Amino acid sequence: MIDDELKVSTRQRDGVWIIDLEGDVTTFAEDAITSAYEEVTREGAKYIVMNSRQSDYINSAGIAILIGVVTEVNRQGQKLAISGLSAHFQKIFRMVGLAQYADIYASEDEAVSAMKQLAAQSQEESASA
Amino acid sequence: MAHTAQVTIELMFPSELGYEKIARDAIGTLATRMGFDAERVEDLRTALSEACINAIEHGNQRQSHLRIHIACTISANRLVIVVSDEGLRFHPASLNEPASIEEKLAGLASARGMGLMLIGQLVDECGFLPSRPGQGNHFRLAIYNPPRRNAVPA
Repeated sequence: MIDDELKVSTRQRDGVWIIDLEGDVTTFAEDAITSAYEEVTREGAKYIVMNSRQSDYINSAGIAILIGVVTEVNRQGQKLAISGLSAHFQKIFRMVGLAQYADIYASEDEAVSAMKQLAAQSQEESASA
Repeated sequence: MAHTAQVTIELMFPSELGYEKIARDAIGTLATRMGFDAERVEDLRTALSEACINAIEHGNQRQSHLRIHIACTISANRLVIVVSDEGLRFHPASLNEPASIEEKLAGLASARGMGLMLIGQLVDECGFLPSRPGQGNHFRLAIYNPPRRNAVPA
């Protein structure tokens, strides 16, 4: 009854790696989220979207796991966006300061579009350098 | 729900992570029936979850045979909730300022430890009630209708 069920899966869309989170994001989610992040990193992911689907419950332990991912994303020079959060959890992410380090979008489409734009800018900068 | 006097509702559960979801759902339903709007109910649900997690992890040290007790006192314009544990250890976070996100990202502080800060921003009043070591920690939170966000913390 109280088991936390979080399904985590990964996929690629237009060159952006998506990590789908479906279910509760709590302390029990650490292995699943960290493994998914490591998997996409091994695949060479530069632009990553953490996409919450039907996550009705995200607590501070779950947010701490995402802070761990942001730390690693910064170290690896990747970009991370978060999408699919309810208005309440968008507010919570702003309160803890996470929104300063990972752009938050209402939908996956918006997040992927923003990431593609960043990728294009980065390519232009590389070309002109 | 119409209230002419104070009514108390109580809930008890084992110190196991996950049970806070039951409390969150039950008291969220109560707050909705009291007429709090959806956003404030969501705020309360998150604040209560964090208070329960602190009680489970810090107060009762995740020992499942110890109980978490929740007492809700309902009056016309206010919902007061006291989350109590059996107080094996005084809650350390109540004595320290929470670390910043920058410190957490730099690895200078644990990524955990945001619960009390969040609770303080989500409810009208919150704070530990006076208690002695070994007598349990009692954390009180309250929401008012209409809100009193600038009220002096409990």
